[in-house]
Amino acid sequence: MKIKWETGLTAALERAEKENKAVLLDFFNPG
Amino acid sequence: METVTFPEKEVAEFISENVIPLRVPHDHKPLSDDFNIKWTPTLIILDDGGMEHHRTVGFLTPEELMASVLLGIGKMYFDRDAFKEAVGMFKRVLGDFPDTGAAPEAMFVKAVAEFKLTKETAPLKEAYRLLSEKYPDSEWTKRALPYRLL
Repeated sequence: MKIKWETGLTAALERAEKENKAVLLDFFNPG
Repeated sequence: METVTFPEKEVAEFISENVIPLRVPHDHKPLSDDFNIKWTPTLIILDDGGMEHHRTVGFLTPEELMASVLLGIGKMYFDRDAFKEAVGMFKRVLGDFPDTGAAPEAMFVKAVAEFKLTKETAPLKEAYRLLSEKYPDSEWTKRALPYRLL
């Protein structure tokens, strides 16, 4: 199983509201 | 994080069950400015309105990550005055990840949330006793020092 990352804030917030969850926002270094 | 923590099956399942994962490059505009990002990895817990409730900077092991996420969710509930739900999250940190860096803070804020719920000071005094016993060198033990007098 792999993490299915959202890539846009708006979509993540919409999912968070719909699923009643918090958002884990990861600022990463793609290298 | 990309090579050690996030690929772990247990972490992936935990993330899927508990939060909406959102990943952006550290130089993403405007988010890197909006959240004042200076180093990676920076992990932030947001509510569904985009408000920040918890942040960590630097590498976390799988156990530390999961504990930190639960602590962050608990702090989100706390900030929304949902103290019962907050206590539940802090109990998960203490029950599942008692040896992590998140645990002492979870113990501290759990006591504050219990005080908010009951207006009783006993949880605060007990938190200082437990913090002193289990995490004597934690900054959260120092912050709870006044509660010994309650």
